[in-house]
This record gives sequence, structure tokens and C-alpha cells, in this order.
Amino acid sequence: MNRRFVTYLLGWLLLLDCAFLGLPLLASLAFGESPEPWVAAMAVAGVIGLLLVRIRPPADRHIRPRDGFLVVSGAWIAASVVGAVPYLVTGVLGPADGFFEAVSGFTTTGSTVIADVTVIPRSLLLWRAMSQWLGGMGIILFTIAILPLLGIGGMQLFKAEVPGPVADKVRPRLAATARTLWMVYVGFTIAEWIALRLAGLSGFDALCHSFTTLATGGFSTRNTSVGEFGSATVEWIVIFFMLMAGINFVLHYRVLIGRGREVWRDSELRYFLGVVGVSTVVLFVTVHEDGARIGDSIRHAAFQTVSILTTTGYCTTDFERWATLPLLVLLCLMVLGGMSGSTGGGIKSLRALLAISSLRTTLHRLIHPHAVQPVKYGGTVVSESVLSGIWAFLTAYLMISLAGAGVVAAYGYDLLTSISAAMTAIGNVGPGLGEIGAYDNFAHFPGLVKVVLAGCMLFGRLEVFTILALFSREFWRH
Amino acid sequence: MQVIVVGGGLVGSTLAAKLAGDGHDVTLVEQSRELIADLNERLDVQTICGNGATIPVLIKAGIENADLLLATTDSDEANMVVALVGSVIFKVQKVAARLRDPGHEGGFRRIAREPGEERVAINPDMAAVEKILSLMPVPGAVDVVSFFDGKLLIGGFHIKRGCEFAGLLLSHLGLLFPATPMLVVAIRRDGRWRVPFGDDEIRAGDLVYFAMDPGELDNVLVLLGLHRGEERRVMIAGATRIGVALARRLETNGVPVTLVDERRPVCDIAAAELSDTLVIHGSPTDRELLREEGAERVEGFVACTDRHEENVVSCLLAGKMGAAHTFALVDNAALSGLVGDLGIDAIISPRLLSVSLALHFARKGRIKSVAALLEDSVEVFEVEAVAGSRLVSSPLSEIGLPRGILIVAVQRDGRICIPGGDDRIEPGDQVIVAAAAEVAARLDDILET
Repeated sequence: MNRRFVTYLLGWLLLLDCAFLGLPLLASLAFGESPEPWVAAMAVAGVIGLLLVRIRPPADRHIRPRDGFLVVSGAWIAASVVGAVPYLVTGVLGPADGFFEAVSGFTTTGSTVIADVTVIPRSLLLWRAMSQWLGGMGIILFTIAILPLLGIGGMQLFKAEVPGPVADKVRPRLAATARTLWMVYVGFTIAEWIALRLAGLSGFDALCHSFTTLATGGFSTRNTSVGEFGSATVEWIVIFFMLMAGINFVLHYRVLIGRGREVWRDSELRYFLGVVGVSTVVLFVTVHEDGARIGDSIRHAAFQTVSILTTTGYCTTDFERWATLPLLVLLCLMVLGGMSGSTGGGIKSLRALLAISSLRTTLHRLIHPHAVQPVKYGGTVVSESVLSGIWAFLTAYLMISLAGAGVVAAYGYDLLTSISAAMTAIGNVGPGLGEIGAYDNFAHFPGLVKVVLAGCMLFGRLEVFTILALFSREFWRH
Repeated sequence: MQVIVVGGGLVGSTLAAKLAGDGHDVTLVEQSRELIADLNERLDVQTICGNGATIPVLIKAGIENADLLLATTDSDEANMVVALVGSVIFKVQKVAARLRDPGHEGGFRRIAREPGEERVAINPDMAAVEKILSLMPVPGAVDVVSFFDGKLLIGGFHIKRGCEFAGLLLSHLGLLFPATPMLVVAIRRDGRWRVPFGDDEIRAGDLVYFAMDPGELDNVLVLLGLHRGEERRVMIAGATRIGVALARRLETNGVPVTLVDERRPVCDIAAAELSDTLVIHGSPTDRELLREEGAERVEGFVACTDRHEENVVSCLLAGKMGAAHTFALVDNAALSGLVGDLGIDAIISPRLLSVSLALHFARKGRIKSVAALLEDSVEVFEVEAVAGSRLVSSPLSEIGLPRGILIVAVQRDGRICIPGGDDRIEPGDQVIVAAAAEVAARLDDILET
């Protein structure tokens, strides 16, 4: 293991965190709030970062797979710890709560333990939204994009962080790929900010919501989320941008360079949009009540579908009062998640699609024992190793969810709350069902539950294997 | 015509022999000394030993005065070079190259040509695929050609003992089956063939070519004692280039296909390329496997592995199990002669098909030949009747057509009819004429004014 280079990289990542914290610092000065928490957090990140960078400058800059896992996991945990400092210093939250809120931010989950977000400093609200925005496209990807001097040329780090079973380069060079993806991301964020401003939101609300929409995060500046603005226009704008954020950014890039035609043939996209369509219809039919306006019901159905499927987690209505079937649909959407290469969580459309194909092939093989029938995606054969990776992923995903649910249940919570808490955490969604529904928060959970759920969030955001690898005995050998 | 044939294999030597028989001066270029000696003995052609893809050898073969150049070696690349040297450097008017790889074929077609230059790529594999596809809808046929945009069909069938036609006089056909208009175009018996007259008889064991309206096909099949398969499924043995190309074509036509091959890597490649085809890993001569995959119910069974003996065996096996229609790929003349009567519906020879295509290209003259039947011994022409010619002068029975020439069908105002002796042909009619190769030259007397 190249420990010196790993610590060196972690040092640089902490320095980057320190730089990010500059924005809320400026905001706190502008809003006339205390700059103390930001200075403290920057000091922690800056001092440790500088120490790591200065003490152990490495000679060998080769990254092996296991170094990649370590750097990525380490970077995310470090960012979360540093990100928790402002919550503690302002006295808004305690240690477990602060860590939970920071992890929920960076992993773009959006579950919150803050009961009333309107009373906390606005710079802190900005930091919550910003942490999601950074975590959405990925801290590592950002580092690769802006710090080519670090000499990260290999795919190891990229693969460990990008959502989905297969990481694609859209440009010949990794740094160019990372920059391209970030440019698309920034472009969409700016577009949404303008759209929300035009729809009548304040600059601050528009910025925070743009950050958390594109990241499919879901932190809001209001206690009852996007619904509190009471504007159908705002909701439709948010639906559109959530949908965009749930789509593979490589596809957006292809549209930008004029290859939109092939994007439309992408079977994962078709499947994803199909799920959106079907779920919207099911929710509309089951939720629409006599007397309610049809337009409102359609919008609520579409909003909740897109919000939960893309794992954003905004709400426009209190879905806790819904019947069992629509809740089950929401629970399924939580698991499915966005497309691979998007900022969404869950198991990803591509994995679901390939798992279904693989299942079909398996059934087929029972009928034709000698058939040679590869699983195909987009006309090309998916290798057995990718498929077994997908099944392993689904197994691990299920096991971690059940373990998480077990911990919640052990503290006496009901079945729906336990299961949905674990699912929403590992899927990076945000709200759950039962006692953690649309208008509830996670503050009433015991400390241990919060830490376990934060762990689930990290597992989910880093595609399970990156962190799971650290628990393998083989990893620490040699 | 001065003809140069490069490559003395089965295709090249057969072509050389046929073209020499047509009265052309043929020079055959071949690299192998033993082959040259043998060809020199057998054929009435000039032979040159050397690499035909090099300019000095081609000059020695007389390329500067050649009218027709045929590149028929086993190597696509060599054929490509020969054809390009011939047409680009020496401006030979007609050039044909045998190219098996569709990629080469596409590239060859894209090379610019001057006006008047004719250049064709002949792909034996794709010709075999086309042949099988044309035979597929007609169970029992050994050969099928369609004319007038599919409004007329000529099919060759073996006459089985006990079928309705055995022992019939041709002149009685119309009387016995008035509801099913059809015409016998050619008959092969005991290895010899003829363009028949009314007093000829159909016997069991004959190979008979019928011309008919495609709508009457099912009635004719009943009369011949043939049946269609229970399922539309086609089973292909051998994921060779032909097998995969055939599967892809059938797939796009919506026909379910099962492709069997015993080489696992080949199966993997085929399965990756094809979308709906069921690819099975196993031996095409494994009876249990064929039964498991339903070979007894398939409409067509095509054996196109590279081992032609095995093709015969698996076709016989599938035919015995109940496959309605079997095709075997056999390129070996001795083998195809032996298996002709065993019950395989059609023997497909890519080499002979490419000979046929090349010959067709070489013979293409003033009158447009549209097809060749019976190993190129009968040519079928599509002509327009001209006012003042002998053809339109009197009823058909009084024109005095030479033996070996037959008016098959007439298209007038978009309607097709199979004419009898009392019918007349009018100027402007489109006429299908069948002619034995040796009398084909005399067609001009009848057609011209």
C-alpha cells in the first residue's frame, strides 16, 4: 500500500475542504453573522491538511486499487468530520447529530436532525446546501478536475466514486472527463437558479435549492420543503431539474455536442423515464381524492415520484397520510434510484435493468439448457464479471439495509420506520416513512442509530464496495 | 472476347471451361504448378503459371487487350489487387472479383469507376444466403427464381413416386388441373435436361421446373405431395459466416431462428452479434440435442458448417426427424452428386453460385438474361416484344420456335398469363423466354425485326 501518497492526497483534499469553507465564511460576514464556526472549521481542515501534505511528500505516485478505495473512503469521512465542525461550534447540534447532518449533506441524502431550519444562521443553511452540491458530483471528481498536478491519471479513484457499475470516460483524458462533467453540472445549476429567480424565489433560496436539486440532495431552507413556497411553477421547475440530475451526465454531454439522437436510443434512459411515467400514473390514481384539483394531484404525483426516484427527497405534500400502495411504490422508488453516472443514489437504473435481463436469461437457460445467451445492453454483450458484480452489489445492498433496519428496530421503532430509515439512508434519499416521514425529522433517533444510518449513507454514496473493501481482511494484508 | 481468369480452383476452372465453351479465348492464371499441369490437360484454355496479382504476369496473360477479367482466387486481398490493377491501370471494361468478406465488398464498390466500366464483386457466401432465403418459402424446391417483381415464380421440384404428376403427358396438364395454371419450363432426367414439348412425359425421379403464379404455390405443393412445417422456426447448423448472415436476415424478417454450433467461442460471437436468435452450443449431429430444441417441428433446417460431409449427415438426420425442408451446404462436386437423391431438398454450393454469378456477368449482352437454371444450362430472358418481329407475327404454335426455346409467360397491362399454343404475343408485351444455352444465340432471329 502506498501509505505516503494516500496521506498526501488526503492532505490535499482537506486543504480543498478548507477552501470550500471560505464561501460560507464570506456569507456569514455578508449576513452579519458570527464568522467563528467557519474560522474554526477552516483551521481544523487547514492545519491537518498542511501537516499531511508537508510531512510526507511522496516519491512514488502510483495508485493501486486498494489505495483508491482508501483515499476515497478517507476523503469522504474526513470531509464529513470537518463539515460537522460548524454545526458544533454554532451550538446548533451535538457531536452525533453534527456528524449525521454533515454526512447526510455530503452523501446528498438530505435527512435532517434540525427541527426548525428557519432559526439557524443562514450561512449554515448555505453550507448544508453547498456540501450536498459538492458531494453530488463527487469530491474526488472535483479534485481530479482542478488539481491535475496531483498526478492522478488512473481510473482507480474515478471508478471508486462514480455512481453505477461501469465508469465511462467521455474524453480521452481523465482530468478532461472530470472537468466536462463538472461543467455540465455547473451549467444546470446556473440554469435552475435563473429559472427559480424568475419564478419569484429570493436569490438565497434559489441558490440553496439549485445546489440541492442538482445534487439530488434534498436539503431545503424551509421546514416543509419545496411545498412551502406554494407555487406550482416552482414545483414544475424543480421537477424538471431533479429529472435532469437523475439522468446520466454523460448523456447530457452527448446532447451538448450534438449527438442527441443516440441518447434517445439509450435503453437505460428509456427504462428510467418509463419508471417515472408508470409511477406517476400509479400515484395519481391511488392518491387523487374527489374534490381535489386534477392538476394539483398530477403535480403532487409527479413531484413525489421524481423526488424519491432521483433520491432528492423534497416534498410538496405530506405523503405519510397516503394509503399503503402508494407508500409501497415510494419505497420501491427509493431502492431503484437514478441512472448510473447521475448524482442520484439507490441501486441505479442500469443495475436494475441488467439484473432483470440476467434473470430473464437465467430462466431462458432452464428451458434451453444448451443455449448461449449473453446479457446484452445497447447491443453489446455484458461480461459475466460485470453481472456477478451487480448481483454481489445487490446482495450487499440488501444485507446492509437489513442490518441498518435491525439497529433501528432494536431501539423499539416500528417496522415501517425501521425499514424506510435504512432504505432512505443507503439510497441517499432523505425522508422515510412512518416516524421519519415528509414533515418529520431524524432528531428523535438515539445517537447510535444516527451514526449507523450515517454509515449506511456513506455505503450508498460510495457504491457499497468502496467502503466494504475496507472491511475485507485481504485489504489490510501486506 | 478475350478473357483472363485468375485462380485455377473450382470456381476459376469451371468458369474457364464454360467461357471457352461459349467460344471465348480464355487465359487462366494460376500459381500452383501441379494445378496448371492438370488444367492444361483438361481445358481448352491457355494457362500461365504465376502470381496473378502482379503486373508482369498479367501483361504476359494479355491484360492489355482483355475484355473481361475474373479474379477468383481464395484470397480476398489478392482478388482485390487483381481487380484494381485490371480496371484502374489497364482499363479492362468488365471486371469481377470474388470477395467473401462483406467489409472488402463494400470497399470495392466504393472505388470510383469511369463511364462504361463494369465492375462487380461476387460474394459466394452472400449468394448462398440469398439462395437459401429464396428457397425457404417454397418447401421441397431445389431452385426458385421470381420474375415481374415477384408476380411469376419458376421453381424446380423433384417428382416423387406416387405424386399427381408422375406419368403425366405435359399436354394433359392444363386439362387435368384447369384451376391451377402452370407450365413446365425444363426437365432433367438421368443427368440430362431438356426444354420440353407437349408430347413429353413427367416421370417419377425427374427434376421439373414449373412456372406458376405465386398464389398457386400452395395448390402446386399439394399436387407434388409436399407439406409445410408445423412451426415457422428455422434451425441453422453452423455459426459460420453464412449461418450468422442467414440468421440475421431471417431475424429481420421476423422468423424465429435456432443456431447450433459446437464451438463455444464461435457461439459467443454469434450470440453477441444476433439479437433474437436462440444460439445453442452443441453438435448439430447430436440427435438428442436436435430433439430437445424441436428440430422435428421446424420449417427449415439449414446445415452450413465448414465440414460439408457433416452438413449432409445433419440434414439427413433432421429430415428423418421431421424437419419439413432441409438445405445442405456442399461445395464438393463428388459429394453433391452422391447425395442428390437422398432426400435433402436443396444442395447449396457457394462456389457454383459464384460461378453462376460470374457467368451471368460475363454473358450479359444485348438481351438481358435474368436467371440461369439447371447449373447454367438453361438461360431465362426477360424481353419486350417488338412490332415486326417473328414473335408477334402469328399464334405461338405457328411461329416455329426451335426446340429448346420456350415462351414461359407474358405480361400485358400489368397482368401475367402463361400462354398456350393459340395465344398471340402483341408488340409491347413483356415476355419471359427460356432457352437452352446452346440455342440461346438463335433467340435474336425471333426477337429482332
